[in-house]
Amino acid sequence: MTEGDGESDRPGVDPELDQLRTRLAALEREYRSAFDQAQREADALFAQYQLSQLVASGGSPAELGRAVIVELVRLAGADGGAIWLGETGRPGLGLIARTGEFADQLPADLADVAAARELAADRQDLRLAVLGEDVPASVVALAVPTDRPLDDDGLRVAQLARHELASAFGGARLREALERERHELGEVVDGATDVIVQVDEARRVVRLNPAGERILGIEAAAAIGRSCGDVLGCAVAGGHGEDHCPLAEVIASGGAIGYRETAVRGAQGTPIRIAGGYSRAPSHPGGQIRATAILRDISAVRALEQLREGFVATVSHELRTPLALVRGYAETILHFELPAEEQREYVERIHGVTSRLGSLVDQILDITHLDADPLILERAPVAFAALVARLRGDLEISGDDARLIVDLAPDLPPIDVDIVRIGRVLENLVGNALKYAPAPTPIVVGASVDGDWLLATIDDEGVGVPEAERSLVLEPFHRAWNVRESRIPGTGLGLYICRRLVEAHSGRLSIGDRPDGRPGTRVSFSLPLVADRRRAIGGRPRRTQAASHGAVRG
Amino acid sequence: MDARWIRLGADSAAHSPLPAAGSAVYTRSIETRPRFAVSVPSPSRATERPLNAEAPLNAEVPLNAEVPLDAEVPLDAPRLRAGLVRVRRAVDRHAAYLTRLDAVLGDGDHGDNLSTGFRAVEELLAELPDDTPPGELLRAVGHRLVATVGGASGPLYGTAFIEAGFRAGETAELGPELIGEMLMAAAEGLARRGRCTLGDKTILDTLRPAAEAYRDAVAGGGSGSTAAAAAIAAARAGVRATRPLVAKRGLALRLGERSAGHLDPGAVSCLVILVALAGDD
Repeated sequence: MTEGDGESDRPGVDPELDQLRTRLAALEREYRSAFDQAQREADALFAQYQLSQLVASGGSPAELGRAVIVELVRLAGADGGAIWLGETGRPGLGLIARTGEFADQLPADLADVAAARELAADRQDLRLAVLGEDVPASVVALAVPTDRPLDDDGLRVAQLARHELASAFGGARLREALERERHELGEVVDGATDVIVQVDEARRVVRLNPAGERILGIEAAAAIGRSCGDVLGCAVAGGHGEDHCPLAEVIASGGAIGYRETAVRGAQGTPIRIAGGYSRAPSHPGGQIRATAILRDISAVRALEQLREGFVATVSHELRTPLALVRGYAETILHFELPAEEQREYVERIHGVTSRLGSLVDQILDITHLDADPLILERAPVAFAALVARLRGDLEISGDDARLIVDLAPDLPPIDVDIVRIGRVLENLVGNALKYAPAPTPIVVGASVDGDWLLATIDDEGVGVPEAERSLVLEPFHRAWNVRESRIPGTGLGLYICRRLVEAHSGRLSIGDRPDGRPGTRVSFSLPLVADRRRAIGGRPRRTQAASHGAVRG
Repeated sequence: MDARWIRLGADSAAHSPLPAAGSAVYTRSIETRPRFAVSVPSPSRATERPLNAEAPLNAEVPLNAEVPLDAEVPLDAPRLRAGLVRVRRAVDRHAAYLTRLDAVLGDGDHGDNLSTGFRAVEELLAELPDDTPPGELLRAVGHRLVATVGGASGPLYGTAFIEAGFRAGETAELGPELIGEMLMAAAEGLARRGRCTLGDKTILDTLRPAAEAYRDAVAGGGSGSTAAAAAIAAARAGVRATRPLVAKRGLALRLGERSAGHLDPGAVSCLVILVALAGDD
């Protein structure tokens, strides 16, 4: 404005006043524009603040994406928006959130950032922004409205927040991956059949898995916070004292213990032999120390090993003794000029010993069959009387059939058993009775029905089994002391084999006193009746897996 | 009676800005000249309970309560100051409830933030000269809120107060028409700053209906007090309407559809402020 303008516009008015008015108007405009500018800056600042707040609020990629895309669409004044996010270790970007209207369908997946750029290349209705190119890449698309332009101020805010958004999405992906990994690891720990117990630096339990709860008989919630010695009961179970705690050792050393056997207190309060692996979580600066023990119940393994060792020792002893005899007799014949009758005597002894050896080997083979997993039974319906009749036929050769008294209940239903194996049981038990009861005392075989079972009994008038040894003689190689003293030869395997074969049929075998109170033994065992109690005998044998099988019982 | 309502003792009720229906309508003067109060009819609910810290989160906001209004016009600086002090007290009283509402949809600090802000406002009032005109008073309050209230609500409420203050200009005594325009300016400013519209589940859902109701009541020839009563009624309806809404702004965005079914803490705090400004305590 010049003085001349004022004069020419409004002649006759005080030019100074006019000038002042003009200046005032200019100042007002300036003030107005500064005010508007300040308002826009405040708006932008607030928008930025709101965006940051959303970004900082965390959540899953999908949650974050949904919140951010609504905010960006509002900021830019767009009609709609979409966010694609990459995933670490996998190519391509996936649509994680979308809102509002788009002219056409958006692809659910983008091969890469270049594909995203291509998508928007020739389109006026789509504004694309690549937030981050690094893995995981993130891309935003905004639907440009047809009736108005996008809000430049808002776009600027979004542009400024680009890196913040990209790192927020990267963080969300990372959190998601960590959470998934944590979950999977948790599943592994919870699903383990070994006890997994984790303690802090002061050896207070911080984690106990379900297997641990079960084996130790304590709930994790009750165990947490207590000392490891208290929860595991290593000392009372005779495992180790406080001074030899493997967890204390790994906490102190920072190393690991690959294998150490000790004992813990089981759910019933009884000691359980365990083999443990111990390790300390890698300590990072400022991180909390965690030591973990993975404990496996090895009491069954230990018992089995002991049994096997005993078995091998006994078998080799049982084999070696008769072998030494055979060798001795043979050497005697070889080195001495013996009369024919004496030679014959030695040969007869050799014959006797080898037949004992033969039956021992047969029984050992039986046991290996019993330990086959699973034991296959050839079951067929058969009358118990038929099995007894067959046995009587076998005994006719030796004349022992005279001592056998059969006392079966009338009309016994057929049993469902492996005929060969139950025949062996009967032969074994009756053979035992004949062996340990002096001739000509009778052996009584009886049978009756008890529910779905046939209950068979074999009574003799022999030396009997001392009460304390009745369960032991059912274990391999165990012979009662009175039998050992009697010098009647035996392997100690017969009753064990019988018990296992009966149990393979789900039956039970036990040794007791005679019911009439006379000296001697009653062996009882149960066998399954044919399910539908059909009297028909015969039919095709069925192959079934034995109900009880597997390792030698501990 | 709705079982969800928690009954308050006489003591608590006495501190409520929203006395139970049927309670004595009274006048209270902070000046020498005579005043009167307006009784808002309370038709449907016989006894409405005020907002309070123990109220279940799903409780309806008190509706149709009888509010003795201190909404006499013209509004001058001393009466505005008195109103702002009432706001401070009301916000303090409802802080815990607001924070609990915010814990559902936001980050759980709304009540405490506002409480801090309006305490700062009370301190500000003591600093400002007695002859500070209402407009300048409101702008100063707005700036103080922006500076002291954490979260998004500080800038939003601050903007509303500043815009109202601008509209008031240098006027010493605010008439009903001007108050209507100020309320509208506050709502417009808040909508612009927050980039929100009606139905986004925000403060605006309370403020805009209140402003419009006030303006319309005045345009229809109503007195300042009638207009205020209409504004509070509209504000309540607005708050209640936020419950089924899915949030479109703010931290509640994270929840998506799950934000439906809860009152918006901002909408509720706006009602608390409006009632305190218009009413008596």
